[in-house]
Amino acid sequence: MDWLALARGPLFFLSLAIFVAGIAWRLVGIIRLSAKPSLAAPRSTATATAAARTVFARMLPRPGFHPSATLATINPYIYHLGLAVVVFGYLPHIDFVKRLTGAGWPALPDWLVYLAAGATIVSLAIALLFRLTDPVLKLISRADDYVTWIITMLPLLTGMAVILEPSSAVHARETIVYPATLVIHLLSVELLLVWFPFGKLMHALLFIPGRAQLGAFNARRGVPS
Amino acid sequence: MIDYKVFRQFGDAIAHLGEMAQKSEIPDEQRVRRAKQVMLSKIDRQMAVDLEACVKCGYCSEACHFFVQTNEPKYVPTRKLDLLRRVYGREVSPLRFVRRLFDAEITADELRKWQELVYDSCTECGRCSYACPMGINIARGVNIMREALAAAGLAPDELAAVAQEQEQRGTVFGVGPKELQAAIAKLRESGLDVPLDKPKADVLVLTTVIDILLFQDALLATVKIMNHLGLNWTFRTGGFEAANFGLLSGMEDLQRQASRKIIDEAIAIGAKTVIVPECGHAYPALRWEGAAMAGKPLPFEVLAISEFLGREIKAGRLKVKSAGARKLTYHDACKLGRHGGVIEEPRDALRALGVDLRETDPTAEMNWCCGGGAGIFLINRAAGLRQKAFELKQQQIDATGAESVVISCGSCRLNLMNGQANSRWPVAIESLVELVGSHLAD
Repeated sequence: MDWLALARGPLFFLSLAIFVAGIAWRLVGIIRLSAKPSLAAPRSTATATAAARTVFARMLPRPGFHPSATLATINPYIYHLGLAVVVFGYLPHIDFVKRLTGAGWPALPDWLVYLAAGATIVSLAIALLFRLTDPVLKLISRADDYVTWIITMLPLLTGMAVILEPSSAVHARETIVYPATLVIHLLSVELLLVWFPFGKLMHALLFIPGRAQLGAFNARRGVPS
Repeated sequence: MIDYKVFRQFGDAIAHLGEMAQKSEIPDEQRVRRAKQVMLSKIDRQMAVDLEACVKCGYCSEACHFFVQTNEPKYVPTRKLDLLRRVYGREVSPLRFVRRLFDAEITADELRKWQELVYDSCTECGRCSYACPMGINIARGVNIMREALAAAGLAPDELAAVAQEQEQRGTVFGVGPKELQAAIAKLRESGLDVPLDKPKADVLVLTTVIDILLFQDALLATVKIMNHLGLNWTFRTGGFEAANFGLLSGMEDLQRQASRKIIDEAIAIGAKTVIVPECGHAYPALRWEGAAMAGKPLPFEVLAISEFLGREIKAGRLKVKSAGARKLTYHDACKLGRHGGVIEEPRDALRALGVDLRETDPTAEMNWCCGGGAGIFLINRAAGLRQKAFELKQQQIDATGAESVVISCGSCRLNLMNGQANSRWPVAIESLVELVGSHLAD
């Protein structure tokens, strides 16, 4: 078996298994802990609505805080949206998923994906710059923050290296003409899948219970979230 | 009228408060063991999510008055949970087997270092939770840290002294049943009917050491309002003190003991309602945590006096006359507003008085803390930090153009009075209950 077959086959499925099992392990490890119900009479019982509202409302910064140049409110939006466009909007990525699952969806135009990839790389570089220079971020950052940054950046950089022709040309062709760079790209994605459950990337799931429980807590007390 | 001589005496007493604390020598290993024991007993599913979810974005720093006023990175709220996070990571987390390889055990020196972070520089105001994109309840984590430090014998001496007094003698700043009786006798001399120790009553009214010693007009106003409403109410010598230094210092046994005293009295007299005076932390202590302390739902409703006033006025049961078109602003005490949900009722009361009510920016659940809550007012070494936080509050109030700030929390009131004395601030500081009490309709 050559490297490409290994990266597209067994290694990919292994990393996917670690991804799924790791997430399950971490979530079950939290859910199994006890949760004490509040015995105090609630001011509002619409806690589920408040929880759902908070999950969505926290996607926007709350008005009332001092604007901050160093904390850069806009930057995280760029790399979150950019990553979503690149991962789910690029035709070869959709083809990859279709090959495995049979499911597909319309792709975004190449120019938009390239723009998103470029913006995401710059934005992640800015995020790292903040983390390395802002005194608050420097103090609270841990190894996880830096490792996660590297592991997130790698698929973007290696993916850019694979782009040598329009995605429609790749889509039309059955054979891989540049296997070495593709193998490196696939391995970087598999590294990200393996790391996901063990580092801060889990916030992609944990934001939901985190926001929801605060929304419910505040609603019980009659306080807007 | 406030007796400023008593106010100064109160300040002098606080300056020497720490000397009253009974100190005990605890070996470092035992401090760590006790602190960890508390942390582990308090980490539940909600806390686990909070400890797992932080992405270290630092947004919470922008919400913290201590960080904003000092620009000191060490005060960033999420960092205050780092020791709790490490204990969780090593002992509870699903990844504990891996985390133990990378995260060191917490040490007694770190616990000592954290005293400043969870006592001196955090009022548990909860504003940081509103800036957090993950919705982390940092204030709750800080409260657990306070309990852990208290168990390790590392609560600040001032808080420990008052907590020990409340636990051992049942008094706070020397105020017990005798002092309550004396204050009531004084009120009765002015011709007021002040029910005390009625065996049965619909409403149990609490008071607090600050009202008995210093803000006696608030006590007087409370009595006038209750009588004006014609309610079947009483004070009880067996359970009158609303302040709960168990909660403030992080001593849960004392918190339970202080809450149980009130709960038992309320049940004994068949009270349907318990009214908490103008004492910020006392409200969540009983309203939101009282049932947990009792181990069962409370068979009565708990209302903050400001909540009660707004409700009664809005329902048309309490009639007030105009206080004139004075320019006033209202300061939401964190424990009443952001933590308690008492936001609209005090404003309803003020609007009924016909005043020119000016909101601060931000306001309500986003309001800035006065800087003295959660017992910080008593911690002498925190005086500098407290003053800086007060200055932020001062700027916020000044920007409204109000001539007076109305408060419904004795602790906030004391802190603003203290800041006012330090900076010769011309804005008047008033109590909501006193304002309503002096404008009751004939």
